Amino acid sequence: MTIGASQLVLIPLVGAVLLAILPLPRTLAGPIALLFSLAVTGGVAGLAYRFDVGDGFQFSTDKVWIPSLGIRYHVAIDGLSLALLAMTALVSTCAIGYAVWEGRSRTRLYFALLLVLESALVTVFVARDLILFYVGFEAMLIPFYFLIGIYGGAHRRRATLKLIIYTFVGTLLMLVGILTLGLGAKGGPAFGFDQVGTSDERWVFLTFALAFAIKSPLWPFHGWLPDAYRAAPPEVAALLSGVASKAGAYGFLRLALPLFPKQAVELRWWIVTLATIGLLYGSIVAFRQPDSRGVIAYSSVGQMGLIVLGIFLISARGEDGAVLQMVNHGVLSAALFLIAGWLAVTTGAERFDQLGGLARGRPILATVCIVVGVATLAVPGSSTFASEFLILLGAFESHWYLGAIAATAIVLSAMYMLRWISAVLHDREGPAVGATRPPDLRSGALGAVLPLVVAMLVLSFVPNAVTRRVDAPTKALATGALEYLP
Amino acid sequence: VIRTPSVDWAALSPDLILLCAAGLLLLVAVVVRDRLARDAAGVIGLGAFAAAMVATGVIWDDHGGRTTTLGGEIVVDRFANGVRLIVAVAGILSLFAAYGWSRMRERGPEFAALLLTAAAGMDFLAASNGFVTLFVSLELFSITLYTLCAFDVRSPVSLESGLKYLVLGSIGSAVLLYGAAFLYGSTGSLQFGGIAHALAGGKRTDILALAGTALVLCGLGFKIAVVPFHMWSPDVYEGAPTPVTGFMAAATKTAAFAALVRVLTEALPSQADYWRPALAVGAIVTMVVGNVAALAQSNLKRMLAYSSIAHAGYLLMAVIAQGDLARQALLFYLLVYTAMTVGSFAVIAAHERETGEPATIESIRGFGLARPVLGAALAIFLLSLGGFPPTAGFLAKVYVFSAAIDSGYTYLAVVGAITTVVSLGYYLRVGMALYDRRATPRAVTGVPGYASAGIAAVAGVALVLWLGVYPPDVLDWAHQAARSLSAGS
Repeated sequence: MTIGASQLVLIPLVGAVLLAILPLPRTLAGPIALLFSLAVTGGVAGLAYRFDVGDGFQFSTDKVWIPSLGIRYHVAIDGLSLALLAMTALVSTCAIGYAVWEGRSRTRLYFALLLVLESALVTVFVARDLILFYVGFEAMLIPFYFLIGIYGGAHRRRATLKLIIYTFVGTLLMLVGILTLGLGAKGGPAFGFDQVGTSDERWVFLTFALAFAIKSPLWPFHGWLPDAYRAAPPEVAALLSGVASKAGAYGFLRLALPLFPKQAVELRWWIVTLATIGLLYGSIVAFRQPDSRGVIAYSSVGQMGLIVLGIFLISARGEDGAVLQMVNHGVLSAALFLIAGWLAVTTGAERFDQLGGLARGRPILATVCIVVGVATLAVPGSSTFASEFLILLGAFESHWYLGAIAATAIVLSAMYMLRWISAVLHDREGPAVGATRPPDLRSGALGAVLPLVVAMLVLSFVPNAVTRRVDAPTKALATGALEYLP
Repeated sequence: VIRTPSVDWAALSPDLILLCAAGLLLLVAVVVRDRLARDAAGVIGLGAFAAAMVATGVIWDDHGGRTTTLGGEIVVDRFANGVRLIVAVAGILSLFAAYGWSRMRERGPEFAALLLTAAAGMDFLAASNGFVTLFVSLELFSITLYTLCAFDVRSPVSLESGLKYLVLGSIGSAVLLYGAAFLYGSTGSLQFGGIAHALAGGKRTDILALAGTALVLCGLGFKIAVVPFHMWSPDVYEGAPTPVTGFMAAATKTAAFAALVRVLTEALPSQADYWRPALAVGAIVTMVVGNVAALAQSNLKRMLAYSSIAHAGYLLMAVIAQGDLARQALLFYLLVYTAMTVGSFAVIAAHERETGEPATIESIRGFGLARPVLGAALAIFLLSLGGFPPTAGFLAKVYVFSAAIDSGYTYLAVVGAITTVVSLGYYLRVGMALYDRRATPRAVTGVPGYASAGIAAVAGVALVLWLGVYPPDVLDWAHQAARSLSAGS
């Protein structure tokens, strides 16, 4: 069997079914899930190796799924999908690894759900049919629902309902939009990305935009986010902020821009304005948060604002920067959540006033935290610097004040990240630290975080590895809209 | 000399099988008792439903898929056959759901006989080609259902439910009959073809015809429980024995929707300008009221009753929309709805038998952790009712919304989408309660009968996932059934 896009969807699903039905010992569930997830990562690595940059969509499977409505099971991978798939596979593997280290109750259910989640996320990034894309986009909510609802922390019920209902408002209206688009396709109903053609309908565009704005989330649609990020287990929060939120940004780029070029251009100032407000708002609020998760949650609002801003600049630099930033932020926010989880487990405290002084005698933890923190605040030389620089450049080319605002926000990101580093590593030793005397970051937990850190360092040396592959696809996606640009 | 109409026995065979089995069961009831009675009821009931399904499959292609018999009063087309299959699925699942119930040991054969008779009545309703047959078959299954609702004679709630259903259901029947009389007065015909012919020939705006149309719609509206004719259903659903509720919710809805579609397309097509807007308003109000009212319920059966009202609203979309796509959507939705509804009630029935009290959000806390299979099944049914992919509930919604959009009723699809979000408010609440870690498990006081309920639940889950992941065969079947209806009109 050769590995293609379809196998990446199926491997975790097979793993999930096996975990759910085989009467395995509880302790084995985690390692088995990890194996399946590693298989996906290996598969993606293999595809990346075989990937031909000069070619378009590769490794595809295209089968009729529901003939009477022209719905197809069509999956394929281009540079854009590949970049996000690599990030998804890596983050999923590390998240599962972390869960194995921390240990969970009812392991078979838990790890089966994580694998289902991975499968749904992969589906979103490889789908070439609107209904299939929708299935992945929405099916990911089921594992989130149970992962947060059953295994979450305080206020998990409220957080879950908020997350699901917020997201569903957007996606169900998008379903009406998708059906309108697909039923109106030339030559009978068809839902392929290439088959539906472009549309000028403003309300259909708005249904798509709303769904993606809630998922990303764009200010002011982020109401679900702080609760969900706080209530979820750390590895689930990592997947939520690292990967699931990228599904929203990916939707803007993959669907909203090419399918509605006219509307995307006409309404882009609204979206750019919201993205800029979100960027400033998230960064400022992140600075005031009392705990790690709060900082990561609101910084995510800011970062997603920056990414959506990059996409709706509708310029080659903006798009490339946005995609690179999606990968960067996916890896970094996942790493931050896992570290925050480790801190909470070992010290029993989440708030900054309980933490502090952890750098003393814990060199590995200090190194990891500083590498991740410094990469997040986009120090020159880091991959984040490359992506933010590309977006800023695009913004300045578009309007100088846009660039100026975005640059300010990047300064703000330095403020909240440095505050996080000092609150955790330096300052006076916190009461929780003194009471528990946590060890250094070692073995299992380190194993879960380290791949993310290494990926970040590698990307910092060769950001080109991503941009080279996504350049052609993003250009193709934006061509339609470019014609409408003034 | 009275000429007797020719009878096509083959076309009627599925229903005759059901009725003969019902008769046989009543004889059996005299001879056997206790567990043997229950087992006989189960075996004969299942056998009859299975045989009816096989017979339906055999006659599927007879006479090009459309047989008119009994002097034109009965039309057995693929649409009617499709309804027969769905009703049989509901019957089989309900028998499994009921099997562990204590009343099955006392009155198992009678229960199964009533169930089979009701199913036959529903089949006849879907195959009716005139108002006389329509009314007779409607009463056949309604009266059996009144009895089934009151089947738990020692429970006052059950008796109350039966009485309530009897009174309100009779009003619905009377209104329908009145409407049929008006249409007869206007057109001089009781058969659908004759009515359509007369209406198209200039009687379209006749006041009697209009009043008749309105009254027929109201009468059928009672049976499918659309707002504002839904008042009876929460009380009846709550009071009726749970396996009966499941059967009633799924099979009655299937038959009544089939009859509604047949009346509208074969008798009243020229009145479409009147009934379409009226039904569109009805659909919107039904979706909103059903879903919003369900939010306030804590009793699971009441909640599912309101949810079933809401689903009637979604189904109405497929009635209003024109074309084969709409009819296909209707049948597919009804099949999916049958699987998830009877399945949920099977799980609730097992839970009630375990605790000996009505199932509420409170009583079901932690149930999913204590009973993994039944709990997971209920969770999947709820996700499917809420329209999550990859369950069949999602594709059913895709089809119904597509039908509405395709006919230019995009606003109905939008209302459907928004009310579906509302519905998550209660489906997810139950799902969350199922897996509440902190709940203390309830003491098992009754005879739960997990095995049989488990079979119903697992079969329902299998259907829901199969139809959600690989539906082309079933969709093709629904398409053939849909085509045969439009070919006849």
